[in-house]
Amino acid sequence: MIRIAFAGKGGSGKSSVSGTFARLLARRDRPVLAVDSDPLPGMAYSLGIPVDDHPTPDDVVVEGPEGGPKWVLRPGLDAAGFIDQYAAAGPDDVRYLQFGNSWGHWSTLQRGQHAWSQVVREMDPNAWNVVGDLPGGTRQAMFGWAKYADVLALVVEPTAKSIQVARRLRNITKAEWSPEHVVVVANRIDHPDDVQRIHDALERPIIGAIPDDAAVTAADKRAAAPLDDGSGPFVDAVEQLVDTVESSYDAVS
Amino acid sequence: MLSSVPHTDTIIVADLEAGIGTLTRLPEQAVEHTLVIVEPTPRSIDVGLRAVQVATDRGQGSVTVVANKVANDEDDARVRSTFADHTVVAVPADRVVVRADREGASPLDFGAESPAVIAIGELAQLLTQ
Amino acid sequence: MRVAVVGKGGSGKTSVSGVLARSLARHGHHVIGLDCDTNPNLGLSLGVGDLETERLLSLRDQIDEGEQKHAHTWADILDAYGTDAPDGVRLTVVNRIDNPEPD
Repeated sequence: MIRIAFAGKGGSGKSSVSGTFARLLARRDRPVLAVDSDPLPGMAYSLGIPVDDHPTPDDVVVEGPEGGPKWVLRPGLDAAGFIDQYAAAGPDDVRYLQFGNSWGHWSTLQRGQHAWSQVVREMDPNAWNVVGDLPGGTRQAMFGWAKYADVLALVVEPTAKSIQVARRLRNITKAEWSPEHVVVVANRIDHPDDVQRIHDALERPIIGAIPDDAAVTAADKRAAAPLDDGSGPFVDAVEQLVDTVESSYDAVS
Repeated sequence: MLSSVPHTDTIIVADLEAGIGTLTRLPEQAVEHTLVIVEPTPRSIDVGLRAVQVATDRGQGSVTVVANKVANDEDDARVRSTFADHTVVAVPADRVVVRADREGASPLDFGAESPAVIAIGELAQLLTQ
Repeated sequence: MRVAVVGKGGSGKTSVSGVLARSLARHGHHVIGLDCDTNPNLGLSLGVGDLETERLLSLRDQIDEGEQKHAHTWADILDAYGTDAPDGVRLTVVNRIDNPEPD
């Protein structure tokens, strides 16, 4: 099973990479659960799921026990059942689990977030290959929101700000908590020197170098999945990334 | 902290957290102006619409939308038509900003005459009129 | 006058803030750049460089951990946790990191 979470600065391309990665992985006959923990979800777009407003019904949770979480899954509903009933079905049979929903009322958002957290914590790690999209920046990674992951992939553009945020994320994985593997995906690369520069700054294995591809920018402007425009430099590079992850980071279940 | 600043001639430019988190937590009427930066993509515009709503509801001064990285008329029109009720200032896509970003420098130190820097200078004048 | 700058990550929010602050300063205004981002990098767009931007972040983290004596007035904060940027802009980093875990 592959369990990978993508992190990095906002706008570095995490959602495009993680959504495309999830679908290409699913095309290899693997059951794939895409988990989006950004309250402003972007992964739905890159998966090609026509929902960005996919709230979980309020009644999936009930008030939790004294001293425990505020909301817990209702009796009789476990993580597997939740995914079965409420994870959106996307192209290539990817299932998509969205963390809360910023457009909903706060109480709805909070219930959805609690449900999401419990599902991700309690789901059978051998039932799904998990591909996660963390929100931009360091907040969630810092507090261990990617504990489902064996691999944390830092998505880095060759800009000073993107490298700086990735370096902070890497430092957090040294100091606080870390998945087994912390690796780097270089994105929007248009000079070969850029990969070396990113490597020198982060000192972590670079497992993919994705070229700058105008087709991805164009897909962004249409809110379309890059994969639905057919192959191209971006999709080819993510395909190679899937090869690398399969050969090096497929946890034996 | 922003809302407790003494009222002086000083101009405070507060770069808030990405997304709308800080904006929703800011006390009401904490600022005189809110600038909502959007790229001409649906996802960025979604966040921008949400930010405009929150800033308006919570009385965060006059709201100006900055259409950033505008590459053509279509980009410009998309942002203007989405935010038809607001002042929209367009900042063109600009290689100088891209270069400065790569190097971790200020665009002003790379080309003070570049189109994006000029547009932001005009924005500065608009704010202080 | 106080100006808040918001937007999605990657929208160019920080680049606009940095150029705006320095443009205002060049027009003769006294300007403070306030970096409220959990990932502060306004320093880069103001032109103070990578090392100084990281130094301000570490100062802020010390405030968060309570290692530094808390500065109470604006002047104290600007003095202790700020740095001078080009064109006379004073930069300070202020945000605390909130635990986003649902409670």
